[in-house]
Amino acid sequence: MLSIENLRVVYHDVISVLNGISLEIKDGEILVIIGANGAGKTTLLRAVAGMIDFYDGDIIEGDIKIQGVSIKGLDSTDIMKRYGLTYVMEDRPVFDYLTIEENLKAASYSRWDKHVKTDMETVFEYFPTLKLLKNRRAGYASGGEQQMLAIGMALMTKPKIMLLDEPSLGLAPLITEELFRIIQKLNESGITIVLVEQNAHAALNIGNRAYVVELGRIVLDGQAKELIHNEDVREFYLGAGETKRKSYKDAKRYKRRKRWL
Amino acid sequence: MTALVQSLGTGILIGLVYALLGIAIVIIFKASEAFNFAIGEFLVVGSFLFYVLFFDYGLPILIAIPLGLLAAGIVGGLIEWFTIKPLLGRSPISMTMITLGLWFFMRACVQLIWGSHSYSFFLELPDITLELGGLFFLSDPIWAGIFSLATFGLVLIFLFRTRWGLAIRAVSEDQAKAMAFGINARFILLMIWAISAACITVAGVMISNFGALSVGSAIVGLRAIPVVLIGGMDSIGGALAGGLIIGISESLAGTYIEPYGLVGFKDVAPYFVMLIVLFIRPYGLFGTVRIERV
Repeated sequence: MLSIENLRVVYHDVISVLNGISLEIKDGEILVIIGANGAGKTTLLRAVAGMIDFYDGDIIEGDIKIQGVSIKGLDSTDIMKRYGLTYVMEDRPVFDYLTIEENLKAASYSRWDKHVKTDMETVFEYFPTLKLLKNRRAGYASGGEQQMLAIGMALMTKPKIMLLDEPSLGLAPLITEELFRIIQKLNESGITIVLVEQNAHAALNIGNRAYVVELGRIVLDGQAKELIHNEDVREFYLGAGETKRKSYKDAKRYKRRKRWL
Repeated sequence: MTALVQSLGTGILIGLVYALLGIAIVIIFKASEAFNFAIGEFLVVGSFLFYVLFFDYGLPILIAIPLGLLAAGIVGGLIEWFTIKPLLGRSPISMTMITLGLWFFMRACVQLIWGSHSYSFFLELPDITLELGGLFFLSDPIWAGIFSLATFGLVLIFLFRTRWGLAIRAVSEDQAKAMAFGINARFILLMIWAISAACITVAGVMISNFGALSVGSAIVGLRAIPVVLIGGMDSIGGALAGGLIIGISESLAGTYIEPYGLVGFKDVAPYFVMLIVLFIRPYGLFGTVRIERV
């Protein structure tokens, strides 16, 4: 179980992005995190993956624990090796100038065991298109292929927990659907998934539980299936609240509503 | 005709040494987009380390060379550890500024330890002076060419055939992505600086072998600037091409232009060529064309 307790993160010593966020990720579930741009979703993942230093951010309060052990301040490589936590960054984090096969090999750098070859075959089973393109530079692959490669690379690190940052970014709806099916399959194979998404509807459909983040805090949580029907989520994230047109006066309600719970 | 072939040959031999300086700059630039201005001082420090091992301790050359390279690599790594590593993820400009500071700091250290006078430097390599018809190549430059080419080849093999090489190429492309996939970018950067320092040392020892070694030898290191600017800052092949172009233009200028009374033009010619190349191709001959998806 991964738990985040009252986490506060500040960039460049002054920009406060996470203002005391607390959440829990249970083993084996798909946890969906939705929120508007700038809500702090990516920062949250960076903090968990141990990469916040790299972006000149600091955890000034709170703690991140895996099975009760604090991982705060550990290096991303250590977190990956010790706890099997892999972070797939947003915007298709592949190495453009390496071939697809080299990308997969590079992602297995932290491992020394002899199963790299067989694991690569497993990745090719999940994503057959990658096998056909394996000698092509990743930069020339299509957006969908790149995102699949990114997830394939994450698989090469043998993750127990996979943090996915907006995998559907810039992908056609059909590709997104396929991708989410694969994410579901990965989850069934035993990988805990944390899915950060703007595409709230698709994400909530495959998720077990979900959190809504706003201004660096959790404002709502519950079963994913229930949140789809939650009136506020429908209005702000699914764009399908009450059907009648609202006046601007009513739109302000959103700002006035400081407390959600 | 003989004069032309002669100066081309001489140019290629020295050009290979310059290419080695070029690749030392290029691998650092690719990884962190910082330009190592302290290259001249790295050259002097590395050569002095080798000098101590080979001449002061009298180790046989086959032991002194690997030990010298190792020592230079460790020094390069230590310098990275203390000065560059804390800046990981920050602006490349600050790293470049650091190397400017290192330039002066290392020069002062060398002067403190070894003084400013010249040390005579002579490797007892087998004499392979080449005489062919009217052509005449001295043994030292030939050895310099051979050693430089071999080192260049080793670096290429390391980069393209080993798991660390793959990690280096991955980090060079994007440090954050590499870290997210479990590649320890900090360690990889350390390794890059160590390799770079070792390459510079090979070039430094070869150049010192032409004459003597002193603090002033650092000036040769600056030849790396036209080399990488001509070849393209982020191209390994460009470093080789740039090195050869610089070497050849230097020796052609020596043969054909200096006799007209322009003494010293040899040293200016590379910058001339560099200017012309930069006018035509601002990113250098082999500077990366960014991948665009269609």
